[in-house]
Amino acid sequence: MTQTADIVIVGAGAAGLAFAWAAVAPNIKVVVLEAGGHVNQRVAPSLASDWELALQTTFNANPNLRRGVADYPVDDSESVIRPAIFNAVGGSTIRWGAHFPRLRPSDFRKRTLDGVAADWPVSYKDLEPFYDLNDEIMGVSGLAGDPGNPPRATRSCPPLPLCPATRRLAAAYDRLGWHWWPSDAAILSRARGTRGACNNCGPCGVGCPRHARASADIAYLGVAQAQGVELRPGAVVTKLERLGHDITDVHYVDANGPARLSCGEVVMAGNALGNARLLTGIIDNPLFGCGLMLHPTAIVTGLFKQNQQSWRGAFASALVSQEFYESDESRGFIGGLQLQALRGQGPLTTALGGYGLRLPWGQRHKEDFVARFGHSLSLTVTCDDLPEGANRIALHATQTDRHGLPVPRMIYRVGENSQKMLDYGIKRASEALREAGARQIAINPLVRNGGFHLMGTARMGVDDQAGVTDARGRVHGMNNLSVVDASTFVTAAAVNPTPTLQAIALRAGTAMRDGKITQRAIA
Amino acid sequence: MTGRLTALLDTLLPGDGGDWPAAGAHGLAVHAARLADDMLGGAEAMAGVLDALPKGFVDLPQLRREEFLHEIEAQDAARFDAVITAAYNAYYTDPAIRDIIERLTGYPNRPPQPEGYVLDPFDESLLDAVKARGPIWRPVD
Ligand SMILES: Cc1cc2nc3c(=O)[nH]c(=O)nc-3n(C[C@H](O)[C@H](O)[C@H](O)COP(=O)(O)OP(=O)(O)OC[C@H]3O[C@@H](n4cnc5c(N)ncnc54)[C@H](O)[C@@H]3O)c2cc1C
Ligand code: SF4
Repeated sequence: MTQTADIVIVGAGAAGLAFAWAAVAPNIKVVVLEAGGHVNQRVAPSLASDWELALQTTFNANPNLRRGVADYPVDDSESVIRPAIFNAVGGSTIRWGAHFPRLRPSDFRKRTLDGVAADWPVSYKDLEPFYDLNDEIMGVSGLAGDPGNPPRATRSCPPLPLCPATRRLAAAYDRLGWHWWPSDAAILSRARGTRGACNNCGPCGVGCPRHARASADIAYLGVAQAQGVELRPGAVVTKLERLGHDITDVHYVDANGPARLSCGEVVMAGNALGNARLLTGIIDNPLFGCGLMLHPTAIVTGLFKQNQQSWRGAFASALVSQEFYESDESRGFIGGLQLQALRGQGPLTTALGGYGLRLPWGQRHKEDFVARFGHSLSLTVTCDDLPEGANRIALHATQTDRHGLPVPRMIYRVGENSQKMLDYGIKRASEALREAGARQIAINPLVRNGGFHLMGTARMGVDDQAGVTDARGRVHGMNNLSVVDASTFVTAAAVNPTPTLQAIALRAGTAMRDGKITQRAIA
Repeated sequence: MTGRLTALLDTLLPGDGGDWPAAGAHGLAVHAARLADDMLGGAEAMAGVLDALPKGFVDLPQLRREEFLHEIEAQDAARFDAVITAAYNAYYTDPAIRDIIERLTGYPNRPPQPEGYVLDPFDESLLDAVKARGPIWRPVD
């Protein structure tokens, strides 16, 4: 018997589950196929003292090292940055920091304002209602009124508090006359329904047993399933069958063996690496695969004389400075950067170098450990990476994964503009940390394991000359194929991408639900 | 082999004669070896470094051992790196070492959850200065 679905979504991550929730309706059958299984965060590693070991094993962000059942190898030999993704129900939000900033209106108009890259075929105003909707579903702590961004609705919870180190940093920013604001975080500071309030424990990256930190499974899956969305976990999509300008069937493998779904619409939400494995050969637009943007990131760590107990608090969501966000020609580069505070490291991670350099072994080790552990605060320098043709995702000619799918190749180098931005950001971050009282500064000039923001490779554009998809993610030249994740980003901006990719997915899902669905393939 | 591993751990993480014990003398050899086994290529790295130790390494003074280890590290940094990771993993997850950390730094010897730490309210008055400076985003259209 041929199984059918009106909409088949590939990937149950941040984008896929948001899209599913938006697209489902009583007369529309939505099936989500996800390679990974469920992760029970109620029993997260942070309930045991040796939780930091999980960061190297089951929660290692690098799929080549984690090697879980749902992981596929990524060839990163031609990239200075390694992949950081998670394959499970919830996708990479199982592993994320939940820092939840929005793009600014100017980010959608890079060509008009700065003469580089291209303008997006959507504007901030188009996405604003979907940002708001997504905030509501994910649950956001924060404070409206940030002078760095357009006004926005009152956040559902008050901001997470500052810790001693971030208070020092905030005061330093004030003395320097720089912008700062408490982060929007997809973390509840007040309990809601079955989700508890954050208790400031620190290691959000190994899952949150209180469900205070939103991940796509916690925030979206239940409400989507209540409306009829069907999730098939452990289902690896192996092939899209194409006939002319249609995808007729989706082939997948699960515990019961190979299976096939006849589909009305196919929606790709597997992130740029996952999508490339299935779409290469299906999409013949030469832009496909090109313009990979990764937010090259530097981390600057300040060491303070006094113990700041900086192991407390959600590791990635405290405060940001967007003082250097908008382009300013006098700085010698186009675009800008964000400085995001990081903390929340345990003793083992500190010894292994954490955000910076590993502590030396030998006689000085213990002295260094006591001087550093709990005494540090780090700033990420997140750069507005420009889309460059040479930075791309391609497929390996011979290597395949266990299902016979080609291994994706990440091909990436830091462009000249991004490098200038990184250098500038490192100087500014060092200045801020010194002003905050740090007596020593350690610089990690490029986070090698920092391939966590995969943007571009199937960018949106008004037509097939300008982009691979239209503004709602529908692939130009195909009748029923969409891409709805950050692959469609036209520019990278200098902020974490998830609120924006989810807003894009919600907008696309809403449009599909509201009448634009083709019923063609449902025989 | 355990004797050489103990000596290796003692060299990487020596005691300070006061608060901190040396990793090997603290009895972490077996645990470190097991943790190396759990790492991709960890067992081979550990075996390789142990094999590279010179004869009589166990009986050498700390400084001399350090010199040898620096040479071995220079020959194959990635391999040595795996051994350091296994050593640090064993040391910093050991309950007795965690007691010492608690005493010296205040980091409680318990898992982060379920207890966590107090979540104080955010003090909005901290934002007075930044609010006073006004908007800094570029309007479009
Ligand atoms: C360590 C870390 C920290 C991060 N911190 C932040 C942060 O603070 N803020 C922020 O905004 N972003 C953060 N991110 C990034 C964020 O997690 C991603 O932007 C987001 O999850 C991307 O959503 P997505 O749905 O496109 O892809 P993903 O969430 O990666 O989901 C894709 C899913 O598709 C599935 N899939 C792929 N191929 C197939 C196939 N063939 N068959 C079936 N299923 C398939 C995968 O298994 C996966 O579950 C972080 C990421 C990491 C790794
Ligand atoms: S810091 Fe808060 S959100 Fe993060 S894991 Fe701990 S309780 Fe959850």
